Amino acid sequence: MLAALAAEVGDFVRPPIDWHAAAPELTLLAFGVLLTLMDIVWLERGRKWAPALASIGLLATMVPIITLAVDGADRSMFGGAFVVDKYALIMKAVFILAGYIVVLISSNYISEGDYWENEYYGLLLSSILGMILMASARDLITIFIALELLSIPAYMLATWRKRDLKSNEAGLKYYLMGVFASAILLYGMSLLYGASGTTLLVDLNESISASDSPSAIVVMGIIFVIVGFAFKVSAVPFHTWAPDTYEGAPTPVTAFLSVASKAAGFVALMNMLFVGFIGRDDVYEPMIFALAAVSMTVGNLIALRQTNIVRMLAYSGVAQAGYMLAPLAVASDVPDSALAATVSYLVIYAVMNLGAFAVVIAVARKTRSAEIDDYRGLFHYAPGLTVAMTIFLFALAGIPPLGGWWAKFRIMGAVIEANTVSGVVLGVFVAVNSVIALYYYARIGAKMWADEAPDGDLTPVRVPASLKSALVLTVAATIVFGVLPGLVGDVTKVSLLAGVGG
Amino acid sequence: MELTTTWYLVLSASMFSIGATGLLVRRNPLVMFMCVELMLNAVNISFVAFGSDLNDVGGQIAVFFVLVVAAVEVVVGLALVVAITRRRADATADDLSVLRG
Amino acid sequence: MTSLLASETAAVSFPVLTAMVLTPFLGALLLLVLPNNRPEYFKQVAFLVSALTAAMTAWVMVEFDKAHAATFQFVDQYEWIETLGISWALGLDGISLWLVVLTGALFPIVILAIDAEHSPKPYYAWILVLEAGCMGVFLALDLFAFFVFFEIVLVPMYFLIGQWGHGERAYAATKFFIYTMMGSALMLVGIISTAVITANTTGNDLTFGLIELAESQALGQTAARWIFLSFALAFAVKVPIFPLHTWLPDAHTNAPTAGSVILAGVMLKLGTYGFLRFGIYLFPEAAVYFAPFLVALGTIGILYGAIAATMQRDLKRLVAYSSVAHLGFIVIGTFALNTEGIEGGLLQMVNHGVSTGALFLLVGMIYERRHTREISKLGGLQKPAPMLAGVFMVVMLSSIGLPGLNGFVGEFLTLIGAFAAHRWWAVVAASGVIIAALYLLWAYQRVFHGPAEGDNATMPDLTVREGLTMVPFLVAIVFMGVYPKPVLERMEPAVDALVAHVETHVEDFDEPVADIAHHVELEDLADLGTDTHGEEDGEHG
Repeated sequence: MLAALAAEVGDFVRPPIDWHAAAPELTLLAFGVLLTLMDIVWLERGRKWAPALASIGLLATMVPIITLAVDGADRSMFGGAFVVDKYALIMKAVFILAGYIVVLISSNYISEGDYWENEYYGLLLSSILGMILMASARDLITIFIALELLSIPAYMLATWRKRDLKSNEAGLKYYLMGVFASAILLYGMSLLYGASGTTLLVDLNESISASDSPSAIVVMGIIFVIVGFAFKVSAVPFHTWAPDTYEGAPTPVTAFLSVASKAAGFVALMNMLFVGFIGRDDVYEPMIFALAAVSMTVGNLIALRQTNIVRMLAYSGVAQAGYMLAPLAVASDVPDSALAATVSYLVIYAVMNLGAFAVVIAVARKTRSAEIDDYRGLFHYAPGLTVAMTIFLFALAGIPPLGGWWAKFRIMGAVIEANTVSGVVLGVFVAVNSVIALYYYARIGAKMWADEAPDGDLTPVRVPASLKSALVLTVAATIVFGVLPGLVGDVTKVSLLAGVGG
Repeated sequence: MELTTTWYLVLSASMFSIGATGLLVRRNPLVMFMCVELMLNAVNISFVAFGSDLNDVGGQIAVFFVLVVAAVEVVVGLALVVAITRRRADATADDLSVLRG
Repeated sequence: MTSLLASETAAVSFPVLTAMVLTPFLGALLLLVLPNNRPEYFKQVAFLVSALTAAMTAWVMVEFDKAHAATFQFVDQYEWIETLGISWALGLDGISLWLVVLTGALFPIVILAIDAEHSPKPYYAWILVLEAGCMGVFLALDLFAFFVFFEIVLVPMYFLIGQWGHGERAYAATKFFIYTMMGSALMLVGIISTAVITANTTGNDLTFGLIELAESQALGQTAARWIFLSFALAFAVKVPIFPLHTWLPDAHTNAPTAGSVILAGVMLKLGTYGFLRFGIYLFPEAAVYFAPFLVALGTIGILYGAIAATMQRDLKRLVAYSSVAHLGFIVIGTFALNTEGIEGGLLQMVNHGVSTGALFLLVGMIYERRHTREISKLGGLQKPAPMLAGVFMVVMLSSIGLPGLNGFVGEFLTLIGAFAAHRWWAVVAASGVIIAALYLLWAYQRVFHGPAEGDNATMPDLTVREGLTMVPFLVAIVFMGVYPKPVLERMEPAVDALVAHVETHVEDFDEPVADIAHHVELEDLADLGTDTHGEEDGEHG
């Protein structure tokens, strides 16, 4: 073996590198390194530049993404392990923009928190780097690397307030669950590798779907991989870390985890399902069906009982993961619609959920609390925030004409279009669940609008400029996606181009 | 008795199960880290065994990545434990109950 | 598509229907940007916007081509989301015409008659959004657009009840919201299924256009029945049909007066209109199949609403339960599935909007003066407020269905239709008319007769403004009672076309014809208003 390896190393020829295709990752990497260097060289003096540099880095990364989109050609490198297609570009843009909004909502929170700032942005950028890499990853090892690159900084971000026990606990729970999931995922990958002899998803699919019925080892491999990602996207019954981590972590980090990290999990899952397992729908579809149905129902039912808004959003996020999983359960029947539906949902969910967290952060600046009861009478002293929160909550509940409605419509459209019993059943599940969900969203609405402020304290909430711009961006996007869904509809008309060879 | 690939896979599976059980049962973070290592190394054995069985170099390449990542994960994990023990000397995962869970 | 093209002759270059939907909505946005320091402008602007909409409605009513009432007129169609076959399609035919007119007329009156108790800016903005939503529901010719409007109307009503309501307002608002959402959530599954199955069966592109879907009739029998049920649930909650009515008394009682008037006047019609426009048109076979069931529920609703109303101590709750009874009539008329029944139901929708809307306004006026709606605390109001009592009397008699007033014509036609289709249910339903007379007259007697004591004795009468706002109601009540022909002749072609559509697409279904319909031609209906024996004819065939 070693001789063979040595022989191969001897003949090593650098694979051709398409620098344009790799430019987003390289740009972001450069800025991440720059931030770290600045931290080492300038120490405290770099502090006030860190958020600006991070924002510039993220926006600069958008440039190659846009030029690649304008160019429009599908690119592929390393034998098909790294692919840039329309789907990958959309998801990269989502990650970058979500990251940008997270920077906007973090800057005041972090600078007022009396903790070291520069590392925060460095970690944030590396995590986003992992995410945009994930969007292009079409190989088991690449997916694994991307997953770890995005997860490991996230563990540290969750523990950011390191002198706060809650934050420590949030980070440790997230970490233990995260590595457990990675180990399960890896084991599944090793089984799939053993069954197919390849780590490339395209070849994997060809190999495992060749026979009529799957071998035990393939079934095990697929189950382990899906379970690993189910942890990542916090699907029931692998969601237990989410509420605790969300509550304990700094709120901007929670926003980041619940949006970007979850989206990255979905991107990985979609890459696996649509490229790697698409021929083995007899194995994964029942599993995804169960995960979707159980996640939305259990998530919503537990969310009903929450008294803390962050925990409520955490459980509602579990339910939303269920909605997003639903089209994947009919992935083989209507691949294009299912993929477009989940991608649309991810885009819109990112906007509305980030917005909701931005309001939570703004309100906590005054109340120092995330208890739902502290939202009573919000309208009387913060009408703007109340309107914004109402828009986000109604969007999450799927009320037209807001973005969330269109997202839900796409989900329903995809599962029903499949024209299978399981698809229609999922559609009914989504419908019933959106009513359950409306109850807890509307309850917060009623508290904000109809109740009196506790203790009659009507001092207004001071919202810093960066937070305000994050709110304006998210409100505008939530409304535009709802009124002119053609925009997001056309953008997310995607298909995974699995076949492009290197 | 010849040691076929199956034997290695059985070893890998049992190591993985022991690690997973340990992670779920034990409450000391350090022991839990060791269990994670056990699981990751079970994966490594499985990759190598398959690689040699298929006569494919991919399995060994995967192991390199897993090793590096495992090291990074443990570094971060230990850092978390250090942060917690600075606040509370006798940390076990059961004591972590500030948050409802 | 053919019917869309046929109507192009009637179409005009100015997209008047789109303007009718967008004007109130833009008006709401305009209100939001008005400065806060001149609160008196809010009401004026809101009124002007709704009056402008009403003017467009009036123009549409005049221009409406009654010879082609069965086809959609003034059609506006624009691509909205091309890839999924969703378009912004609005149109008007004989079925929707009068509901649109009702909507257009009611909103300016409501805005003029009632002042916001507090925060006028969002109050009037929500009312205008509500108007846009209601217009949209009545005009939409695309299932997607229809569903969007159908859901949008919930939001302003949720806020109107939650913020400007009384008593348990947060509870009532949430209950209203959840109940109606519960119904419509499954309808979305139904809408998508209809579009997808039709596209699969016919091989055409995916479309959500109402006319294309209804004309292709591509659904299998089982699928159509299930999907009809998903629609029926949404509409039944909205109507509301017994036993899904429990949100209505709570919402009405706790809503501000304007909310109650709009709820009774326009929003309850969204459900009954939905049955006609979407339920029966899209799924004729399923509608025929489930008709007996719905007629039975409608009849139970009539009796239940009437009995419950008799037992109410709160005047507003009493009117709310009387709505449940009245809507029962509309349901049995609609599901008689013959021209008389559907026309009667349609007319009754308008009548109920006028008379119950007016009743809620009057109850609101009493509440404003006396700060109570408890019937036992009121009494002898006739003496201090004779005008109020007189108007109340006329409106109440219209609600009872006194011949010569509008309620009679509608109830009469409904019962004729129902009698032809479901004889015994119609007989039972007719007894609801008698109970209605009983509880309304009894309530009137307790509130307005007898000695006036304490605050009751000094209650002020109608002001000039209040009197003026009641005039349109009284005119409509008398006019439609004495001379319903202009209203009916614009409905009839559309209703006939709908019944013919059902006959074409359902085997073994023939329009249940009432014997009496041979004697009573529509031309004679003009005289019906004065025919005091008509009601009994209806009962005995």
